[in-house]
Amino acid sequence: MRIRTVALLFTLFGMLAALSLIYAQNAPEASEKGKQVYENSCAHCHGIEGRGDGSAAENLLPKPRDFTRGLYKIRSTETGQLPTDQDLFDIITEGMPGSSMPPWETALSANDRWEVVAYIKTFYDGFKEAETPPKQINLSGKVSYSEQSVETGKALYIELGCVECHGDVGRGDGTSAPDLTDEWGFQSWPANLTQSWNFRGGSDTEDIFKRFIGGLAGSAMPAFEGDSFPGFGLTAEESSRMIELDNKDEMTEAEEDESAQLYEKYDAAVDIALNLAEGTELSADEQKIYDDAMRVVYEKSWHLANYVKSLSPEKRPESAIGNNVLRSQYVGGELPPMDDAAWEILEASYFPLVGQVVIEPRQFNPTIDAVNVKSFYNDTEVAFLFTWDDRTHTTDETDEETGKTLEDALAVQFPVKVPQGPTAPKPYFLWGGRLPVYLWHWKASAPEQVTELTAKGINNAEVQEAQGALKSQGTYTDGQYKLWVKRALKTDDKKDLQLESGVFVPIAFSAWDGANGDVDTKRVMTSWYTFVLEPVPSSKRFIYPPLIALLSVGFLFGLRAFVLRRNSEETNN
Amino acid sequence: MKRPSLFTICLIILVGSWVFLKFVIGGLISVPIPGSVIAMYMGLIIIAILVHISVEDSLFREFRRPILETLVEDKRRPHRRVLVVLIPLLLLGYTYSIIAQRANPPGSPRDAHPSPPLELTYKDEVIGTMQDVVNPFRHYEKDDPEAFKAHVENGKRVYHQNCFYCHGDHLDGQGHFAPYLQPLPANFQDPGIIPNFQESFFFWRIAKGGPGLPAAGTPWDSAMPIWENTLTKDEIWDVILFLSDYTGYQFRTFGEAH
Repeated sequence: MRIRTVALLFTLFGMLAALSLIYAQNAPEASEKGKQVYENSCAHCHGIEGRGDGSAAENLLPKPRDFTRGLYKIRSTETGQLPTDQDLFDIITEGMPGSSMPPWETALSANDRWEVVAYIKTFYDGFKEAETPPKQINLSGKVSYSEQSVETGKALYIELGCVECHGDVGRGDGTSAPDLTDEWGFQSWPANLTQSWNFRGGSDTEDIFKRFIGGLAGSAMPAFEGDSFPGFGLTAEESSRMIELDNKDEMTEAEEDESAQLYEKYDAAVDIALNLAEGTELSADEQKIYDDAMRVVYEKSWHLANYVKSLSPEKRPESAIGNNVLRSQYVGGELPPMDDAAWEILEASYFPLVGQVVIEPRQFNPTIDAVNVKSFYNDTEVAFLFTWDDRTHTTDETDEETGKTLEDALAVQFPVKVPQGPTAPKPYFLWGGRLPVYLWHWKASAPEQVTELTAKGINNAEVQEAQGALKSQGTYTDGQYKLWVKRALKTDDKKDLQLESGVFVPIAFSAWDGANGDVDTKRVMTSWYTFVLEPVPSSKRFIYPPLIALLSVGFLFGLRAFVLRRNSEETNN
Repeated sequence: MKRPSLFTICLIILVGSWVFLKFVIGGLISVPIPGSVIAMYMGLIIIAILVHISVEDSLFREFRRPILETLVEDKRRPHRRVLVVLIPLLLLGYTYSIIAQRANPPGSPRDAHPSPPLELTYKDEVIGTMQDVVNPFRHYEKDDPEAFKAHVENGKRVYHQNCFYCHGDHLDGQGHFAPYLQPLPANFQDPGIIPNFQESFFFWRIAKGGPGLPAAGTPWDSAMPIWENTLTKDEIWDVILFLSDYTGYQFRTFGEAH
């Protein structure tokens, strides 16, 4: 019995191994099938000839890949190398989060996906001409995740200048972020490293490591080749010592000597790397210096990958749908101001934003991921804290095409009157229609002011005559907007929403990223969600349950007494 | 082995049915069953048990015997002690959980496919009655395959310039904007969609979009645009041809086409 099971397992493994071998081998020639699948499922974005110019491409950013250049962002291979077949297969299977490339795992069979891999390789001759298989990145020296490793990685993040594009805390808000373009001249936004669910090539530490070592070919993200590392050829201790000495205002003679020695070692290693790049044969000694230096580079890169991994939550937060609604918490006294620590005890509700593609002009390529919202209320007022990431702080740019002023903004939308009951009509989710909506409109150019609007359509909004019911404060730090708004629960204005504890109120959002060309209808938005001033739990919960428990004890004893009496009566009779 | 008492059997049936409804049917086999429906079934089962045990006096006596024993007999004292603590505790927990429960928002009563109007219009122009209007290019499928192909190709272009953001590359309702829209965009690969509707119904839904729905379809929630504002009549018919051509599903037809 056991032998048979083992044999069966072996057979299965054997078959799997054989299958994967068949798949992993380069298909000699692309088949008619690959062409057919490509034209049916891929060409509308990537173009019939693979130039990334399909009919949908015009409105997309990031642009669909142009296969004729052999430049692939997501690879397991070293910089300058082509991707492996498995890389191409994986990207088709899993898609690219945060872009319009969907996962094809369920829509296409594995066989079809392999056929497509073979077919897209025909668009670039380099695949045919390659004599050796592409050189894969060595993942064997993985440094496991630890506080220490994250700290080391963080220092390296600054040393290497990641900050310039990805920003101080990684929100993709570096000073050069707005000016980056890819090989084809299209805008290339640096990744927001705090939102790993949008990482195109996956969010595992290995994925991050590969992107860093191999670079994202064709995009603005370079590969960090060995000799561009600060302190190349030095050990970790030596390189931090070198930086320490560099930062000293005055050095003693001994320190100057030490610094000079370190620089000598560094320069020698860089020379070796340059010689190697030019194709010079290395001596055994040189090879050893180079190998040692590269080992340090790889180790440091693992630390960096661990640091980047540490910047995002484990997974994308759950959006605030279903019963997961935005619940404002009751507090006894004053509502906490913007920077109060009280806000940190609340978990934010997450409202993912999508491009407004309903009414022209539309926004097909959103740059704002979501709005996070927290709220407190007391007997008379409610306060909200809205946060959202935006790579750029735009207050008054002029749109070249339309001449309109572009600026960052947020609008929070409620109905003017809360619908009574689940079947009652709500206003149209996009700034109302027949039924009006009540809006709070905040603009980055006037961060201390929130304007109340009434709207009966996306192009039909009016500033309310009676203003001033709102107190607000807005800031922009490290690629993140924070907006704090406070309002009385009840107002005298008939055009305002009146709030009451325990009532479920529809809520929706619009946001504008000026640097992405957002203005008027061109924006990102949500459909209707729900918000409630969470009622203070009833004190009845401390009265009725014990009462019922006591009653049940009484009942049980009573029942026993009753049965005992009846039994004794029966015996007496 | 001793045969379990009638009381134990009834208890097993009761608990077993609940587990079966809640976890086997409502988990392994199908989607979770609403609590009210489970309560109804359990009520029926309790009534059935009561009917069974009250058919004969002897049955009833057999049923209640373990209860009476537990209540009075000395050898059951340990059981009694456990029960007199356990029962009140369970009741305490249950009532607390009911009273302290957070209120949840009411579910949406949305009808995903509400009845269309009797007349099909494009902007203000009347095309015909909903039941009779057919796709004017559908006949090319037989009469002129080349022309048909051109219309499908055009529909494909229109789809990928306008619809795929939400309805997806694969027409499966899983475009990159789709996960964060409520209601979710229609999935044309679902065998229950295209075969159940006439092309005129699709024309209506595309032309008038979310705001064109009757109240039962909660027009205020749908992100489907009013496409008659941006697409021509022919473009809408072409997209409809593409939907059935790509998915392989046939639209529902009436009359001789059966």
